Order: sequence, then C-alpha cells, then structure tokens
Amino acid sequence: MTRSLGDAIAAEIVKLRGLPAAVATMLGTVAAGGVLAAVVTASTEGADILPVTIPFLQIGPILLGVLAVSTEYTGHQIRTTLIATPNRLVVLAAKSVAYLAASMITSVAALGAALASARVTPAGHHPPTRIGWPPAGATAYLVLIGFLGFAVTVLARSLVPPLVAMLTLVLIASPLLAGFTEHSRWLPDRAGRLLYQPGADAVLAPGTGALTLLAWITAVAVLAIATFRTRDA
Amino acid sequence: MLRIEGLTKRHGSRLVLSDVSFRAQPGRVTAFLGPNGAGKSSTLRILLGLDHPSGGHALIDGQPYRRLREPLRTIGSLLDGPGAHRSRTARNHLTWLARASGLPKRRVDEVLERVGLADAGRTRVGRFSLGMGQRLGLAAALLGEPSALVLDEPVNGLDPGGIRWIRALLREHAGAGGTVLLSSHLMSEVAEIADDLVIIAGGRIASAGRFDKVTAGYATLEDAFFALTAAGRAEEAR
Amino acid sequence: MTLLRAVAAELPKTASLPASLVAVAITAIGSLGITLLNAFSVRNAIQSGRTDLVGYTSPVEAAFSAAPLGTVGAVILGVVVISSEYTANSSELGGGRQITTTLTATPRRLHVLIAKAVSVVLLTAVTAAVTMPACLTVAHLVVGGAAAASDDLTDTIARSVGAALYWLLTALIAVSVTVLTRSGVIPLIFLIVNSSLVSFSLLLTKLTPLARYLPDLAGLTLFARGPFAMDHPLGPLPGGLVMTAWAVGLLTVSALVFVRRDA
Repeated sequence: MTRSLGDAIAAEIVKLRGLPAAVATMLGTVAAGGVLAAVVTASTEGADILPVTIPFLQIGPILLGVLAVSTEYTGHQIRTTLIATPNRLVVLAAKSVAYLAASMITSVAALGAALASARVTPAGHHPPTRIGWPPAGATAYLVLIGFLGFAVTVLARSLVPPLVAMLTLVLIASPLLAGFTEHSRWLPDRAGRLLYQPGADAVLAPGTGALTLLAWITAVAVLAIATFRTRDA
Repeated sequence: MLRIEGLTKRHGSRLVLSDVSFRAQPGRVTAFLGPNGAGKSSTLRILLGLDHPSGGHALIDGQPYRRLREPLRTIGSLLDGPGAHRSRTARNHLTWLARASGLPKRRVDEVLERVGLADAGRTRVGRFSLGMGQRLGLAAALLGEPSALVLDEPVNGLDPGGIRWIRALLREHAGAGGTVLLSSHLMSEVAEIADDLVIIAGGRIASAGRFDKVTAGYATLEDAFFALTAAGRAEEAR
Repeated sequence: MTLLRAVAAELPKTASLPASLVAVAITAIGSLGITLLNAFSVRNAIQSGRTDLVGYTSPVEAAFSAAPLGTVGAVILGVVVISSEYTANSSELGGGRQITTTLTATPRRLHVLIAKAVSVVLLTAVTAAVTMPACLTVAHLVVGGAAAASDDLTDTIARSVGAALYWLLTALIAVSVTVLTRSGVIPLIFLIVNSSLVSFSLLLTKLTPLARYLPDLAGLTLFARGPFAMDHPLGPLPGGLVMTAWAVGLLTVSALVFVRRDA
C-alpha cells in the first residue's frame, strides 16, 4: 500500500509533466504574476499588489486543478490509470499530492515574480506600491482554490463545465454578490481571501476564513471520493 | 487462470450480462466471440476492475483485479485503443504507467521496440494512426511482462504485418504457459490461433469449450458463430 | 439557398450541445438568481433605512447588475460552438473531429461560419428576450413600492436592448477568437475574465486611456450606468459602434483564416 502510493505519486508527477497544457499553465501563471504586478505598480493608482493580482492569478491553479483531473477523461486515460492502480483511493491521493506540489511551486514562483517585478518597475504617479505581503497566506489561498477546482472536476469528469463553474464563481458571482449580501463572506473565495487580505471582513479572521474555504473543499471532496469509488470507470 | 463465475451486470433495468461463466486456461488461447453489444466489453471491463458487477465474480488466479498486488505484472490488457491522453508523447504515457507499477524505466524502451514504435516515442498520441494507437495499447499490455493477456479486438486497425506479428506473439505467449483471452470479430483470424472458444450473445454464454467441440457439426467457425448467436438472440427475444 | 440549408443544419447542432444548455442556464437562471438576491438586499436596505449598505436603490439596477452573467453565457455559447467542432471524439484516434464531417457536408467554408454565427446570434437573442424582461419584472416585484424614485421606462428599454446587443457582440467575438485558436480553453478564460469586475481591460485602463476602446469596455455603457471603475467611459452610441467594429473586424479576420486553413 505504501509502496503503491509512492509509485502512484511518482506516476502522477510524470503524467502532469507530460501534459503541455499543464506545463503552459504553470509557466503562464508565473509570467502573469510578473506582468500584472508591473502593471499595478506602474498604474496611476498605486494599489496594494496582492488584492489586485491574486484574483487574476487564481485562474492558474484553478486551471491546473481542472486539467489534472479532466485530462483523465480524454482518450479514456482513466481506464489505463485504474488498470495500473486499481485502488481508487490511492489514485485520488496520488493525484492530489501531484496537484498540490505543482500548484505550490507555481504559486510560490508566481508570487516571487510579482514581488520582483514590483521592485524593479518604476512606480506611477502616486506613492510607491505598498507591499502589504502575507505571501504564505496568498500561496495557501492559490493552492486551495485550485484544489476546490480539482475536487469539482472529479465529480464533473470534464474540462469546460467545471472550469466555467469555477471561473463564474470566483470572478462573476462572488464579486456581484459581495456588494449586496453579507452572506457572501461564506463563499469559498471570499472567505479564503482573508488569507492574503487579513482584516478585510468584519466577521471572519484569516484563520476562520481559511477554515471556511477548507470546509468547502472537504464537502466537495467527500462527495467526490464517494462518487469516484463507486462509479464505473 | 482467469475465472468468470455467474457474472451479472445491470444498467438500470437493462440486463447487460446474465449469469456469465467461463474460464481461460494457462497455455491456451481463448477466443471470446459475440456480436456488437453482446456483453464482451462489459465482461472484460469487470474482469479488469473498471466496472462493478451486479452479481458474480471475475477472478485472476483466484483474486479479483482490485486486490492484485501487482496488476500490470499479473495481467496485461488492451481495451479499445491506447487509453492515453492525446497531447502526451507515447514515451510519457508508458513512463507514467511504468512508474505507477514500479517497473524499471528500461521496460519502456523495450516495449516500444517490441511493438515497432521505437521511432515514435516522442510523437504525441493525438497524431497516431489507428494502428499506431493499437500498438501503443499493446506496448502498455506487455509492459509488466504479465503471465496473462486480455485483449479486446487487438488486430483492429493493424496492417497485415502487424496482424501477423500479433498472431505470433499470442501463440508464443500461450506456448510459454501464459494465458491469453482475446475478443475479435475476425473469424478467420480466430480460427487460426484459438484453442478454446467462448461465444456470448445477448449477455448470455451461448457456448464455451474446446475449439473443435464448439464448432462440431458446423462447416466453419463462422457457421458455428451465426448458428449459436442466433439461438441466443432468439432466446433474448422471448 | 445553400446558406439557408447550412443555417438549418447548424442551428439544431448548436442548440443541442450540452454546453449551450449550460450557457442558456447561466444566462437565464443565473441572472434571475443574482437579480433576486440583489433585489432582496435592496428592499431590506430601504426598509431598514440603511441605503448606505447597497450601491443603489432602484430595482432596475438590481436587474442590470446581473448582466455579466449573460455575458458569460454568451462567451460560453460562442466558444463552444466552434471548439466542439475541433474536439476529438471518443474514438480518439485518426483525428475523429466533427469539423471533418461538417466541412464535407457543407464544403463552402464561409457558409459554415456564417451559419454558426447566425445560430449563436439567434440563440443569444432569444435568451436575452426572455431573461431581461424576467429579471426586470422580478426586481420590480421584490423591491416594488419600497423603491424611492420611479425609473425612466424609455431608458430601461434602451438599456435592455443595449444589454442584449452587448451579449450578441460578445458571442460573435467569442466565435471569431475561437476560430483563430481552435481550442476553447484560452478564449474561455480570457473572455470570462473580461466579462468580470476582475478584468484585464479594466486593469489596462489604469495604464492607458486607450484601453477604454477595447471591446468589452467600449460597449459597457450600452447597459451600464455609473459609477464606473474607470474614467471617461465611451458613451452608449460611440461605445456600441466601437464594439460592433471589433466584432465585425474579428469576424472578418477569422473568416479569412477559416476559409484558407486546412481543416
């Protein structure tokens, strides 16, 4: 069991590396970190980098999480995966580890690129950009929001529907609702943003915000595990 | 040895398999025949642990597939194409498969060579022709040097050279004491290599046993096939 | 004649895509849901006298605030209509893509593209024609008499038509861009991001005022009224024209590419 989990993790890492789309997503996210931070720094308004860039950067880990799972369902790869590793739990655990490693590397690199580019970009008209920087929190947020996308895709078994659902949630529905109902603080991305914007909410602290996001992930993951175990491949 | 015992599978109210039982013995090539939709693929998917049976067992050396400690070293399989994502290279596909099964990396080169894809290792699977995809699927089946082979339509899309090659491969495998279970629609192909026959129609076993016993009383295997599957269909209709 | 036949072939093909259903559902049900939630917030704010808690107090604004969901629906529809042609089907090898069948059935490429554009326009228009009045009605029913000032009916109608036009043009831009990329994921991400408040275009306005000529920002005033997240947005008429020019320009480029490229 332990050996097979180690082997399965190694296999999932090779799989992710072999997907041009996943590699492009990782590189693109890092590049986006640098470019966006430069734009924000050079802009005339001189805002905090994190609250402006993270909403864009989160697309990277979300796409990575969705791709890691959805590519199994192209060309019937899931069949080969389950034939090589018949234990469903081992497959999901190994895939999660590979995703977490890849998204962690991507997020750290993207935030590093953002920080570096903010330093070297000449600031705009207003006072230089404040780097109010809980980078660990931002990394955790990026990794976790992508993991929610990962779990949703285990249920959906496809690329476009979970991607659209996640993007609509974090980019459209959540900002629209935020202005009008205080209950929107319980949405996964609104709660999770306290990780990089501590103090942005009157009720939730960074810790409780992170827990709320984790609760969403756990709820979807429990459903996903139960479905994945019992469903015919 | 592969043992299928009283296998039943329902999709909703539709009965796909009904009390299917047969064996595939070591040292013999067992052909699994039946018209489209007869239940061949369903049986093989359950044997390989992909689908859950509604009843009965499918055992490999006495174990269900999901309990196998080293599945790829025990049984090699090919179902409908390579089962690889189209944007991967053939080598990447076999490499992750080898890693998942704890197999040495040299096996990847060996099987690529063996199926005639040595020069196509860096090609993306999406650019493969049907026959090349089939060869990649066979490479995956041979990766763990398994004692049993389960192949669904292995000659599908292969060129004449490939068909001759696979015929030799299967004979050799059984000759060395391995188990071979293959499904095919090509009667002439089956007649050349099968030792045993299992004929399924309408989700039920129509006939199973040694080649000469099943075909006894018919001029050719094709005649036997049509007669036996027609009987199954008639029963289904009732 | 053959063009009509091509439209007759493409319309049911488009309408029966599962993703089209998702697009229509996001537009219609999503917009209604957001309208409903926002309308309740507005009513509660008015009734409790805490109008500072909400950005506006009119039912019409509650309905139009949901318009970005319609844009997302239009994006999905426009992208998927094209990308579904290029997705390999489950027989996975030998390039089993639908575009091969489509182009053998209708060899005149331009007709195929026009037929797809027409189908997308028709579907989006029908969805808009149902969604906008429904959202406005719901908002009025919920906020109702609590609303402080009555809204200008002519302006509301103009904005509804404007929102529908914005969706149509967005869908056509999505079709054009996807013809160029042949894959759905990148246009989907870019266009959904730009339909949102977290928009690349909006970020660019902070760098250069020229960014307001980008299609998604240019057309914004077709339905939206201030306050805007950018300075000096184009007015409804010039903005609408700029956005239309983008859509026509991109469609022309994509048509040229589609006609010349190997399937």
